Amino acid sequence: MTRRLIILLNSRQASVLDWRPGRMHWLGEFPTTQAGLTEFQRVLMRHPGFPVRVILDSVDEDYRVETLPHVGGLARDEMLSRKLKQVFRNSAFAGAWRQLREHEGRRDDRYLLAAVIDADWLKPWLAVIDNTQMPLEGITLLSIACQSLLKLLHIRESHALLAYRLGTGLRLSYYQDGLLRFSRLLAGETPTQGPGWAAEEISKTQLYLMGQRMLPREARLQVLLLDASGSLASALAPLNADPAFNARTLDPHTLARALHMPDAFLSSAPEIAPLAAIAGEPLLLNLAPLEFTRRYTEYRWQRGIHLTALAIGVAGIIFTGTQWLRMLDLNDETRQMQVIQQQFETRNRDITRAFPPTPVSAAQLGETIALAQQLEKARATPAPTLAFLSRVFDNQPGITLKKISWQDAGLATPAKPGERHIELDAELIPFDGNYRIAMERIENFMGQLRKETGVLEVLLLRSPVNTDSTAVLMGNTRNGNVPLQAAFTLKLRYRDAP
Amino acid sequence: MMPTLPWHAIKIPLLILLAVVLVAGTGVWWSSGKLREAKTAQAQQIQANRNAEQSLQRSKTEKQLIQQYRGAYQTLVARGFIGAENRLAWLEAVQQANRDAHLYGVDYSLEPRAPVSASGLPVSSQSAKASVLGQTVMKLRMPILVEDDLTRFFDALQQRTPSLFRIRVCQISRAAETAPQPLNRPELEVECELLWFTVAGSGGSTL
Repeated sequence: MTRRLIILLNSRQASVLDWRPGRMHWLGEFPTTQAGLTEFQRVLMRHPGFPVRVILDSVDEDYRVETLPHVGGLARDEMLSRKLKQVFRNSAFAGAWRQLREHEGRRDDRYLLAAVIDADWLKPWLAVIDNTQMPLEGITLLSIACQSLLKLLHIRESHALLAYRLGTGLRLSYYQDGLLRFSRLLAGETPTQGPGWAAEEISKTQLYLMGQRMLPREARLQVLLLDASGSLASALAPLNADPAFNARTLDPHTLARALHMPDAFLSSAPEIAPLAAIAGEPLLLNLAPLEFTRRYTEYRWQRGIHLTALAIGVAGIIFTGTQWLRMLDLNDETRQMQVIQQQFETRNRDITRAFPPTPVSAAQLGETIALAQQLEKARATPAPTLAFLSRVFDNQPGITLKKISWQDAGLATPAKPGERHIELDAELIPFDGNYRIAMERIENFMGQLRKETGVLEVLLLRSPVNTDSTAVLMGNTRNGNVPLQAAFTLKLRYRDAP
Repeated sequence: MMPTLPWHAIKIPLLILLAVVLVAGTGVWWSSGKLREAKTAQAQQIQANRNAEQSLQRSKTEKQLIQQYRGAYQTLVARGFIGAENRLAWLEAVQQANRDAHLYGVDYSLEPRAPVSASGLPVSSQSAKASVLGQTVMKLRMPILVEDDLTRFFDALQQRTPSLFRIRVCQISRAAETAPQPLNRPELEVECELLWFTVAGSGGSTL
C-alpha cells in the first residue's frame, strides 16, 4: 500500500487527507472559491507524484442495481460500457461494481451501477489535479467509503441504513449484507428542517427502498447514526418507537479506535473517518473515465518497474555480498592453511637437516640390507646333497658313481629358490651284457630315489642302450677283451631337508 | 478497453531497470568469479598442505629408517658387501680355507664383475635395481680325497671371509678310471663356481 492523497469533494469544498499505512495527516478543507482552488493546488504541489483518490459527495448521485450475464475480460468491459451508456446516457462519471454472483438460475452477476449526473462543479477540482500532474487513481463515492467504514467496524447487518451527517447535509446509505445498494444526500441546513426532520427522512427512505423492492416489507431496518455534532440524537427516540427500525448511534470513540487514530484527530474533521477507512482498500467502484486515470496507469507501470529494479538490485547486492563474504572466509581459511603449510615445511626442513649422514636414501639403505639378508638366507652348499647321495649309494653296491653335478637352482634362470638340480653319471658294475636286466635295475634305482624325502623329480637322461626308433643304435656281439659298459645319467630335482 | 502500454512514460524506468540488471548481473558475475577463484585457491592450498604433511611424514619415517638401518649398513660396508670389490681378501680367504681344510691346493679364476639380472636372484627386482647389485664369478678347481673335504673347505671359507658369496655349481668327478685305492691320494676332482656379491656403494665409508 503506497502513500496517497484522499480527497473528498463536494459542491462546497474539498477536504484532503495525506494517508500512508499507520500514519495520516489532515491537510485541511478548501472552499470552492478561486482562493480555495489556489490553496488546494499549492497543497497538491507540495506532494508531487502522490497518487490521488477522489471521493465524491454529491446530491446528483444516481444508483442502479442490475443483474447481468456472467462474462469476463473484454466482453465484460464492453457489456458494462454499453449498459452504463444506456442507463446514465452521456454522464461522464459513471462506473460499475460487480458485487456478487447469484447462486441460483443462470448464476448471473449482480452489479451496482452508479454515476454523478451533474459534474460541472467537479471539473475545476479535477483540472487542478491534472495541472499538478498528479496521478489520479480513481473517483468513487462517499457511500462506498462509508461501506469500508462499516466493514472496519464489523457491521454486517442484513439491512443497514447509515445516516451520516456532514457539512453538506445528511447522507443516507442503504447496505444489504454489507454491500451498498442505494445512497442519497439530503442537502444542508434549510429553514424547513425541524427536530424530527432526520427521522422523517429516514422513514421516507425506508418506504422508498420498500417501493423499489430493495428492502423486504417484513425486514427491520438497522439505522446507524453517525454525527459528530450530535444533532441526529433527536432522531433516535422516534425511530426506535417504530418497530420497523432499530436505531443506534456510532460511538466516536469506537470509531477512532477502529481507525487507529486519536479521538481528537477524528473529531477535528468529521470527514476523516470514511476517507481513512477507504484509503487502504481497493477501489471497488471507479467513476473516472480512462483518460483521467492515464497518468495513474503510467504511475503504476513506472512504480512496478522501479520496484522490480529495486528488487533485482537488492537481490544482486545480497547475492554479491554473500558471495563476497564467502570469498573472504575462504581466503581467510586459505591464509590459515598457508601458515600451517609453512609450519609443516619448517619442521620438515629441521628434520631433514638433522638426518644422520648417509650416502644413500633411507629406502635404499633398507633395500640393500634386505637384499643382503635374502642372499644370505638362501645360501646353499652341496653338503646336504652329498650326504643324501652317500646314504643312497651305500645301498646300491652294483652301481658305481662317476660324476656328480650339483647346481643351486635358486641362482638359475628362471630361479627356483630352495631347489637343487643334480646330475649323476653312474655305471652298472659288473655288467654281463644283458641290457634288459640293466634297464630294470636302473628303473628300480630310480624308483627308490623317487621315494626318498626331498626328491621332487627323477629323469633318465642317458641309458646304457638307446632303443629310441629315431636314434642310430650300434654295437657288436663279438667275444673279446673289451669289457661291456652299462653307463647311464640321471637328473634329480631335489630340495634340501629343512 | 485494454489500456495500451505507455512507452513514453516507462522509457526511463526501463533504462534504469536495464542498468540495475546490468550492474546486479555484473556484481553477481564478478563475485561468483572471485568465489570460484577463492575455492580453487583453497583446493590448491589443501593439496599443498596435504603434500607438505606427507613430506613431513616421509622425512620422519626416513629419519627413523636411517637410524634403524645405519648400523646394519655399516656392518655390510665393513664386510665388503657394499663398495668396491675386495678380490685380494677373497683370494686370501680361499687360500686360508684350503689350508684350514688340509686340502691339496686350489686353482682359481675370477671373472669380471657383472650386474645381476633380477631373475637370477630370489630378491625383488626393485631391490636389486635400487642397490645396483653385482656379482663376480669365481671358478675353483681342486682335488679332494673324499666328498667331506668339499664340505670342510666351504665351512672354512665361510669362517675366513665376511664377504657375501654363494655356491652356484659344483661338479665332482673321479680323476681316474681305476677303482678307489687305499692310498691317501686325492682321486676326486672338484670344479665349483662361486658368486661373490657386491653392491656398488656410493661413499659407504662416510657412514
